[in-house]
Amino acid sequence: MRKRDPEKEEAVKTKAIDMLVNDGFEGFSMNKLARACGISVATLYIYYRDKDDLILSIAAEKFREMSEAVLGDFDPEADFETGMRKQWENRYRFMTERPVITRLLEQFRSSSYQQRVIPDISRAFKEKMGAFVKSAVKRGEIGQMSIETFWCVAFAPLYALLRFHEEGRNMAGQPFTVNEAILWQTFTFVMKALKL
Amino acid sequence: MTTFDHILLFKTDLSSRSAVDLIRPVLDSLEHIEQWNVDLWDEDFVLRVVSYKATHDEIITLLNRAGHACAELK
Repeated sequence: MRKRDPEKEEAVKTKAIDMLVNDGFEGFSMNKLARACGISVATLYIYYRDKDDLILSIAAEKFREMSEAVLGDFDPEADFETGMRKQWENRYRFMTERPVITRLLEQFRSSSYQQRVIPDISRAFKEKMGAFVKSAVKRGEIGQMSIETFWCVAFAPLYALLRFHEEGRNMAGQPFTVNEAILWQTFTFVMKALKL
Repeated sequence: MTTFDHILLFKTDLSSRSAVDLIRPVLDSLEHIEQWNVDLWDEDFVLRVVSYKATHDEIITLLNRAGHACAELK
């Protein structure tokens, strides 16, 4: 008789994430995962109907966690600088505290799984961020611009810093660790660029 | 506690969509099978059958008769 064991399920997910991050989607197999977890392949297929189901449900769960971490206490009605500061803080915290999950989500974003996972979860993102930017424009805090322009100025600098941090090197190959001073200094320049 | 004795798992040689399409009518015609799928993206081509009544032997015989290898995945 087979039973569901939540603890074992969590351990399987953690191991699967490690393997996906280290070996990529191509190198990943149910057999390897079962072996690494010390369980039978059959047990994996009790939890998940196939490999895609496993990958997609992990992706969906982690995107949801990220979305909650980033949007949870974010108020789209806030004034532009307050809202942006919260966004930077939440994204910074999530990415520095959960680097493996961040790498996994990056991998999904650049894979064929993207279309199948992101639509659902990114709706909340689009709605909240859309409303936030719209009211900032309406209040005359920032100018009208394409969503891509907005993202490139508003968030790309943050992601560039976090990438240096993740790689442990800056663009010149010198050692780099992000800290709050650099984070908020960069934020100040981003605000200067965006605010009218 | 929930048990999973109604999930029957097999290692097969159903390695392509067309092979799966060929056995589809056979498995679809069995009313006591609630759901089934083959994992084409993994090396064991696992056939997963959800049924409270079907037996491993029954499914293995069906697949063998259709010319396919099929063994219980333990």
